[in-house]
Amino acid sequence: MLLELQNVCLELKRNHKYVKILDEVSFQVNQGETVGIVGESGCGKSMTALSIMRLLPEKAKLKGTIKLEDEDVTKFSKKALEKVRGNKLSMIFQDPLTSLNPLHTVGKQIEETLMLHTDLTKSQRKQRVVELLREVGLPRAEELVHEYPHQLSGGMRQRIMIAIAMACNPSLLICDEPTTALDVTVQAQILELMNSLKKMNEMGIIMITHDLGVVAEVCDRVIVMYAGKVVEQAGVKELFQNPKHPYTKGLIESIPKLGERKQILGSIPGTVPAPDKLPSGCKFADRCSYAMDTCRRKMPPMVHITNEHSASCWLLEEEEGEQFVTSGSKRIETTLHH
Amino acid sequence: MSLLEVKELKQHFTIKKGFLGEKKIVKAVDGVSFKIEQGETLGIVGESGCGKSSLGRTILQLIKPTSGVIHFQGRDITHLSRKEMKDVRKEMQIVFQDPYASLNPRSTVRTILEDPLIIHGIKSRHKRMDIIEGIIDKIGIRKDQLDRYPHEFSGGQRQRIGIARALTLSPKLIIADEPVSALDVSVQSQVLNLMDALQKELNLSYIFISHDLSVVQHISDRVAVMYLGKIVEIADVDELYQNPLHPYTKALLSAVPLPDPAQMKERIILQGDLPSPVNPPSGCPFHTRCPQATPECKAEIPELREKSMDHWAACIHVQPGQKQSIRTSIS
Repeated sequence: MLLELQNVCLELKRNHKYVKILDEVSFQVNQGETVGIVGESGCGKSMTALSIMRLLPEKAKLKGTIKLEDEDVTKFSKKALEKVRGNKLSMIFQDPLTSLNPLHTVGKQIEETLMLHTDLTKSQRKQRVVELLREVGLPRAEELVHEYPHQLSGGMRQRIMIAIAMACNPSLLICDEPTTALDVTVQAQILELMNSLKKMNEMGIIMITHDLGVVAEVCDRVIVMYAGKVVEQAGVKELFQNPKHPYTKGLIESIPKLGERKQILGSIPGTVPAPDKLPSGCKFADRCSYAMDTCRRKMPPMVHITNEHSASCWLLEEEEGEQFVTSGSKRIETTLHH
Repeated sequence: MSLLEVKELKQHFTIKKGFLGEKKIVKAVDGVSFKIEQGETLGIVGESGCGKSSLGRTILQLIKPTSGVIHFQGRDITHLSRKEMKDVRKEMQIVFQDPYASLNPRSTVRTILEDPLIIHGIKSRHKRMDIIEGIIDKIGIRKDQLDRYPHEFSGGQRQRIGIARALTLSPKLIIADEPVSALDVSVQSQVLNLMDALQKELNLSYIFISHDLSVVQHISDRVAVMYLGKIVEIADVDELYQNPLHPYTKALLSAVPLPDPAQMKERIILQGDLPSPVNPPSGCPFHTRCPQATPECKAEIPELREKSMDHWAACIHVQPGQKQSIRTSIS
């Protein structure tokens, strides 16, 4: 096991009081595996990633355990964290232009990571930087070392970010919407690159995205988050073919699919509630077309459908409920807006 | 008569480069022609920087075109005075991408919706309120929410308000510039369903500009693919998605990740990025990234030609009539 999150809770200070952002988040990532985290904006996807990196605001309250190769990241000192970040643990952000330093050359920014975490000599480092640039598929690597981020296109900048993240052969790479700012043709290039790097380096990847197409393309397992909680997790095929949670179904129904034309798209009414205005009971109840009285009163437990597949919904508790859910996908389709 | 007909439309911007004031020209829109009928949706797709948004703005005359003609309801609108244009604007409206930036944060929803009516001379307050209430009823905003400010609404609701504002003057044509790109999928589908329903009810025409091919497929009747300021392919939506002719369209379609892990497809991965529109490649603008490029492609700019019934493509390697003959042999 590469990474294991157990009952991770996060509270942040908003308007002078603490608000729960993550609520008992638990999941695992194995070596060589890509795990996708999906959900609408404001579901806590990015906060989960930042908790693993421990890149949280100063007054954040983090509880639970985050084990990276059997060491608990939540207990790390500042110094220990510095040693891990960029080394064993790397992260790629959505916007490559704001995450690169505009005042330093590309080469210097990649070299910095090597300087911090390896004993390579200056000339060895220079050589490794050029190698890395080639590995991420950039042309004319020798010249590129001396160029600045503004001279490069969006796709090239994202490749530089990947080169920085890959510099020390991390065991876990966290990607937060790595292709959202890119055009489809460039996105296809980057996804292909990430897939080949994963095969080469046997690392684990956490892929945070709102694009279910990207998830289907690169992930082995998927975690669906809603309002700071994990509501469903399953293997990627299982999740798309046999989604159990009404939220997951709603998400899948609402994307227009290439090669398939529907009169009306499914949709989920309403929006994600603000973290300080969460309903009691199931957080999704207000937007769920199957919500029952129980849902509004009590939080549903995590139900294990198979070894790999679990979801947290009251409908799964009883046999009857299960039938209701499977026959219910048609109902979501016909549920209109408002 | 078509509702809108655009002929050889060009929009060139002059930019200054370097401190010597050396001038360069960006050909954002370079000779675009198409027609739209009443009640029809034309989707325009392409990567960022291909000129989709400039095209939308030029049609609305928010920026004057460099050359070319725009006929709206049979009338040439490229040479109208400001006053005459104001009347035409009633009939064509725009919905912007960012529902946060396109609504004035200091105005209530009522003011936002009322302003266009005041500008276009509806003097009776009573009448204005009647129109507004009729519209918000259609888009799913409640009457008691009218006196709220934009920040009190979610992204999806704000985009509905943006659509309502475009509808207040009962236009015939709405240009929607990436209207759902800033929204989450669940909310995106709400807005798309709303746009669909409004179109049927009011017999609207849409020009739907987007980079998302799946969304464009869902909403459009016809689709135009743009690359570096030019339309490289235009056809009926089903025809274009099932039988793309231009290599760029093929690559674009194959690059879209499918939300279905069981369905794996052959992927054409294009090399490199969109070339800078300041220095577009000679000949076919796509030849630098095209997997089928030959030396001839560098030499001449391919014209948009009808390759089969109502299916136009700009590529010298696509033979006309190819598809037609296959079709007749099947039937």
